[in-house]
Amino acid sequence: MGVLVSLRWWLVFGVGMCLLPLVVSTGTLRILVFAQFLAIFAMSWDILSGRTGYISFGHPFLIGIAGYTTAMLTYHLGVPLYFSIPAAVVATMIGSIFFFIPALRTRGTYFAVVTLAFMEVLYHLMQVVQPKLTGGTRGLSGLPTIILGAVPNYYLSFGVMFVIGVGLWLLIRTRLGTALSTIRMDEDAARSSGLNTTKLKLFAFMLSAFVAGIGGALYTHYLGSIAPRGIFDISFLFSILIAALIGGAGTIVGPIMGAYFLTLLLEFLRPYLPGPERYLIYGAITLLAYYYAPKGFHNIFGLLWQRLGALGRRE
Amino acid sequence: MTDLLEVRDLTKRFGGLTAVRNLGFSVSEGESLGLIGPNGAGKTTVFNLIMSELRQDSGELFFQGREISKYPTHARVKLGIARTYQVPRPFGEMTVTENIRMGMMPDDLWQMLTKGPQHDAERDIGKDVGFSEREVAMYPGELSMGNLRKLELARTIAAEPKLLLLDEVFAGLTVGEIAQISELLVEKRKQGLTYIMVSHDLRALAPLVDRVVVMSFGAIIAEGTFKEVIADKKVREAYLGQ
Amino acid sequence: MLSQILIQGFLLSGLYGLLAVGFTMIFSVGRVLNLAFGANIMIGGYVYFALAQEAALPKLPSFIGAVLAGVAFGVVTYLILVRRFRDDPIAVEISTLILAVVMQALIVMIFSPAPRSMWPLLPGVAHIYGVAVSLNIVLATVVSWVVLGGLLVFVHKTHLGRAIRAVSMDPKGATISGIDPRQISLVTWGLSGALGAMAGVFLATYTQLDPGMWVFPLITAVAVVIVGGIGSIIGSLIAAHIIGFMETITTTVIAAELRGVFTMLLIIIVLLVVPKGLFGREEI
Repeated sequence: MGVLVSLRWWLVFGVGMCLLPLVVSTGTLRILVFAQFLAIFAMSWDILSGRTGYISFGHPFLIGIAGYTTAMLTYHLGVPLYFSIPAAVVATMIGSIFFFIPALRTRGTYFAVVTLAFMEVLYHLMQVVQPKLTGGTRGLSGLPTIILGAVPNYYLSFGVMFVIGVGLWLLIRTRLGTALSTIRMDEDAARSSGLNTTKLKLFAFMLSAFVAGIGGALYTHYLGSIAPRGIFDISFLFSILIAALIGGAGTIVGPIMGAYFLTLLLEFLRPYLPGPERYLIYGAITLLAYYYAPKGFHNIFGLLWQRLGALGRRE
Repeated sequence: MTDLLEVRDLTKRFGGLTAVRNLGFSVSEGESLGLIGPNGAGKTTVFNLIMSELRQDSGELFFQGREISKYPTHARVKLGIARTYQVPRPFGEMTVTENIRMGMMPDDLWQMLTKGPQHDAERDIGKDVGFSEREVAMYPGELSMGNLRKLELARTIAAEPKLLLLDEVFAGLTVGEIAQISELLVEKRKQGLTYIMVSHDLRALAPLVDRVVVMSFGAIIAEGTFKEVIADKKVREAYLGQ
Repeated sequence: MLSQILIQGFLLSGLYGLLAVGFTMIFSVGRVLNLAFGANIMIGGYVYFALAQEAALPKLPSFIGAVLAGVAFGVVTYLILVRRFRDDPIAVEISTLILAVVMQALIVMIFSPAPRSMWPLLPGVAHIYGVAVSLNIVLATVVSWVVLGGLLVFVHKTHLGRAIRAVSMDPKGATISGIDPRQISLVTWGLSGALGAMAGVFLATYTQLDPGMWVFPLITAVAVVIVGGIGSIIGSLIAAHIIGFMETITTTVIAAELRGVFTMLLIIIVLLVVPKGLFGREEI
């Protein structure tokens, strides 16, 4: 019942966003497309790191596998998109095994560092090994696009994000979602409660990679190009992490809020700060947001909601 | 009587220290066993070995006649062994009810995804260990030590164990709370639950066990009824130190 | 080629030792990775650049200025971020990562994103066993070793040094012996900032200054900590040599671009095979 009530809010959000192209400029829509892709990546991070507490500092690794797989398939072999994109998703899921294996032995800081190391390895490998295939430092460009125009791309990215969002949001409400969060709280106690944490972790990694794969492949075709410097980049990782964290890790709704907030913040600052100081202010705002509310907006809204409810009851 | 658990020749070393040395004992179905000994005797290590939270260096573990050394922790829970911790380890961001729910999870991910929680069963277990309606909605941070111990018991009982390992369930409790937990264990014992109990509170332990095994420096030094072992000279020496 | 690998490997390793020890100190005392350590390196490089090249001050005062800036940055990071998130290492790591990105933006704003080249601290080239090496690198190595030697003496022979070691072994035990771990942490962050800034000056003269220069040294420092294991300065030094030589060999024998790849693979392998590192203490 509670789920149905909350689903109503998803519906309001969905309808609202679908009507948006009627009122805003195509320029704004193009910006929102980036927000929606960022939201997909942040949700992928969230279902792994926010839920299970295995913090990934290497999510661009997964996104990069997806992007490069579909880019190379379409660029060199002319494979149609309806084949190359699913292939990219599968490749990403296979690639996530590289994250999963260290997760069997390490956790916390060490795990985060291994994932960062994987990202850096791929960054260097993509430039040096077989530059003919990967395009080397310059990457591949002129990739086929799925659809053209701001409005269709807006709907495509929103639709994918919305479906993934609702799906994951429903999932964390099941017993499976609860079981995943026991790993974050106390993995040993979870095991001694009879939970097969290895299987649960594998599921979280695969699901995260699935979402990252879809996002990475679509994003690459939206941009029409891919290059190591754009994907395996600390600032890209930074955006994903921060979107999830300042929105509220582990909540799925939070990362979506965070992604819109970050993207719009950067755009909002543009007219006032045209120069490089924009990134400084942007970074400083995110640092302050994380400093004062490490649990994110989701938590703040939740608390406000409770307060309002309490006030309502008192009257 | 058949053996529910048999520990055979178990040894565990930490670096140069042998925490458990050629340990062997067994528990029959329906029996309750006390495992006592001075600090550092290796009692908790034995529990960790039985639950596979540590791997033994040598020796075997049989549960219902089956060698379980290769089973990981969660698989042993599914076979029917559960434990509580000396320092309670609840899931901090979950209510009492949700904590109990974690003890009742199916092994299959698909079932976890599609089937909702069994609210009635959760409530019954909560009531069974003595939680009030209000308390089951509380978070572990708001609970007293006594209630945290109850929560641990509830979560392990929810897994429907055949054998329960109780690690210092009386530590840090008031006299009233000890009585409450004892009563609960007496009830469970009547219902046929087998358990092994580690406790320093010998007075609370004595009426709750059929038989006692005494450990010192990782080895068994005495075995028998509570009265027998407490009269044993070696046991007295171990407790008093020479 | 062998003498080239030996000499260059040795020189690079000294610098990595400096880099890694600065980074390890914080990890052993506070059990957190300071991801803003990269920013520390960058600050060292850029402050030296601003003082020595833009303000045309003499080299030694500029160097001291850079080191002081590093100390200040380390102390401020500790006071503001680390104290706030003390109980949560992951939160410290995330917030220091954000801080590093913010510092990068600041550097871009002040100095532009374009790479700058730094004049060597000591111009000229020496020939050692037929291998040409710049005097600048020789100086960097010598200074690194002097500083590291001083540091070893400091932590083993002075009261403050012993207190640092005590906190790194057992914070609770240190507290009940009358040591204030917060004070010790503050000192450690300051020291680490100084070492990072020094390494930054040398690294910048070794390669070049650019706002993204902090990522690779940071990862190298992380690698040294993981390979060497926490809590051991000597372990870090040995690990710095393993990684320094591995990079030199990769650069001379295979390809310069791949030097990072083998370092990363080494981290991954060490974490999987010996999670405590080669020389780490066992933690129960």
